[in-house]
Amino acid sequence: MSAWRSAAFAALAFGALAGCKEQISSPGKCPALCPSGHVQLADTLLTTADVSDTSVRGFVLVREASYLLASNLDSLQSLVLVRFSRIDTTWFVTLSSGLVDTAYVGNPDSVVLDLHLVQRDTAVKGLKLLVYRLPALFDTGASYASILPYFADSTLVDTVPISDTLQTGDLPVRIADSLVIAPADTGVVSLGIAVVAAGKTALALGSGNLGTTAPILSTYIHAKAPLDTLSHVTSVEPSVSLFVMNPPPGQPPSGVLALGGIPTARATLRLSLPTVVVDSNAVVRATLLLNTTGPAGGFARDSFFVFAQPVVRDFGAKSILWPDSTVSGSVLIHEGQTGPVALDLAPILRFWGTTQGDSTPRLIVLRAYPEGSILGSVTFAGRVAGALGPQLRVTYVKPYTFGLP
Amino acid sequence: MTPRPLCLAAAAALAFASRAPAQDSVFGIRGLGFPDRSVSAASAGTGGGFALFDGAAVLNPAALSTWHGTAGWAVAAGSNRSFDNGSGSTSLSATRFPVLGVAGQIGPRIVVGVTVADYLDRNWAVSQADTVSPRGTPVAAQDQTTSVGGVSDIRLAMAYRLQAVVLGVGLHALTGSAQTTVIRTFPSDSAFLPFAQHQVTSYRGVGLSLGALATPARSLLFAATVRFNGSLRASSPDSALTVGMPVEASGGVTFQPVQGLLLSGTVGYASWSSASSALASSGEGPARNVWSVGAGVDVTQLHLIGRPLALRLGYRWRQLPFAVDSGPSWLTEHAVAGGIGFEAAGGRATVDVTVEAGSRAARSLSESFVTAYVGLTIRP
Repeated sequence: MSAWRSAAFAALAFGALAGCKEQISSPGKCPALCPSGHVQLADTLLTTADVSDTSVRGFVLVREASYLLASNLDSLQSLVLVRFSRIDTTWFVTLSSGLVDTAYVGNPDSVVLDLHLVQRDTAVKGLKLLVYRLPALFDTGASYASILPYFADSTLVDTVPISDTLQTGDLPVRIADSLVIAPADTGVVSLGIAVVAAGKTALALGSGNLGTTAPILSTYIHAKAPLDTLSHVTSVEPSVSLFVMNPPPGQPPSGVLALGGIPTARATLRLSLPTVVVDSNAVVRATLLLNTTGPAGGFARDSFFVFAQPVVRDFGAKSILWPDSTVSGSVLIHEGQTGPVALDLAPILRFWGTTQGDSTPRLIVLRAYPEGSILGSVTFAGRVAGALGPQLRVTYVKPYTFGLP
Repeated sequence: MTPRPLCLAAAAALAFASRAPAQDSVFGIRGLGFPDRSVSAASAGTGGGFALFDGAAVLNPAALSTWHGTAGWAVAAGSNRSFDNGSGSTSLSATRFPVLGVAGQIGPRIVVGVTVADYLDRNWAVSQADTVSPRGTPVAAQDQTTSVGGVSDIRLAMAYRLQAVVLGVGLHALTGSAQTTVIRTFPSDSAFLPFAQHQVTSYRGVGLSLGALATPARSLLFAATVRFNGSLRASSPDSALTVGMPVEASGGVTFQPVQGLLLSGTVGYASWSSASSALASSGEGPARNVWSVGAGVDVTQLHLIGRPLALRLGYRWRQLPFAVDSGPSWLTEHAVAGGIGFEAAGGRATVDVTVEAGSRAARSLSESFVTAYVGLTIRP
């Protein structure tokens, strides 16, 4: 046994030596202890890399947006339209005996509208929301012009002041003692919301989409005496919530790459790249150079990202985006920004050099981010603009020569 | 030894060797790599003086005759090195497995064996800092070039015992590959992505070694060996290079003045200049013919806790064949070593431990090293 213990010890010592940590990197001393090859960078500007581009609006619709836009800006007016689900106007009081009795039901004594302020321009003071009563079954395809007549003094329900210090948060407002609902409306209430302030401004309210808080309409009912200590609250969310704008958004003009806004627009660029750029992982930097055609839109002093992603399959405007967010490029855009914009495309060019990305089209989609949750928009000159159109600057490593032996 | 255990042991040795990393010196970046010393831990303890008489080393096929019965052996070597490039130094460490082998006796006169040994080490990594301005603005860049692999020497050898002479012959296959990777990184806050590219170079070659041991007197033993190598073919996916390999010759003597004391010395020569023309064609510096010398003493009459204990001391010196620059500057290495060896498992196993310290230098470039060898020999 002792002999084998010795052998085990020897084996352990052998194993311990074999398990030593390695550190083999030495500082190079050229030329004696440097490899014969050199990493050489090349930088090139591809002025005709964009061989075709287009822009389409309508990826996130108004009714799908996370916000409801109210605006009285000169450049954009917007009204919020909300149709709430059917609300019960009768409360059946359950007595202590367990019997249900309608004899004690009183009328609603207050109506509360809960809104969630998502975004506003804090530089504009004296903000007020004007709440109007709309026809219960207003046309959900209505235009700004066709719905505007309903925003009249005769239909004004309440005026809701917003504190100048409130940037974002809940706005519970008692808007009326009661709302008369015609029998034909079957309990459906629709409201319109407009904004006024000391200056021209815009604000966003939560729509209930994409995780935001929806407007909620609540009625408070007390039972008749002597049971008037009993009360009941009925709350409903919207069945329709949208907003209408003036001027109405249209398809981007030809030759312009439009991104963002609502309904949101995206642009697609088809690239033609030299083999040395695509068929290797040698790209260390790739920058898509774009030129804006006008100031970026959006809330005052707001910002958003422009995101570039490759596509899995080319179906034009409905192309399927590559789902891996690491294969992308982005750049931050500020409201009012003009001039050139540089967007990093190196991860996408490298992706096209992999076995996964090799068979995918050389097509990228530009879009605003977060799409459907921002008002921001920007337009860039397309390829028809010539020197002002998209250009691609690529820095890559020339093929490395290892040499033999 | 029956064929089955021999085959199993050989298979195990080969499997183990395929996983074995090796690293001897950053100077392996030059020429064909860093020439390895495929000696056992016991031979290393005597400065290589006994290597021509050591059945566990791969220099002399006739030395296989020192095995009686079946044996398997392996050596692990861990080294710590301090490299100085003239303007700064850095500490490095690595582990390698210089030699693995099995041998068995077939009849009273013949011993056959298979060994797998390091021959040329191509494990190295160098880093360089640079500043580049691909877009007009300077940006720092760090290049790291790493090579992992090397050339192994697989030998099938036989020793034949005559009266006072033992003859040996060995067939060598040089095989292996090295993966070279270059990585350029930029500061994390820069807009540049890292770059990496790699190439695998494979190596093939053959060789034949002849050796002899002669005992003219009871206390005197001579050894001689010569090895003829064919060309080494290095090939990558898009190119190939054929490199002439050296003829290697060595001679040695062991003298036993008194019982339990062995003195030994070895001298070797290799005509590496045969590789010069091929290396020059690929932009490498020249190669030269080199000498090596080793001498040591082995005291075998000591005991520790009732067991025999061998005590070894040695010194070695050698020239290295590949120029480190176009000067050319040549590298020379020397080292002192000491070690012990003892038996375990009732005499069925031997453990040898050696520590070697030395240095190698060429002009302002120098590297000092301390290497610990642990050898395990099993005789089932």
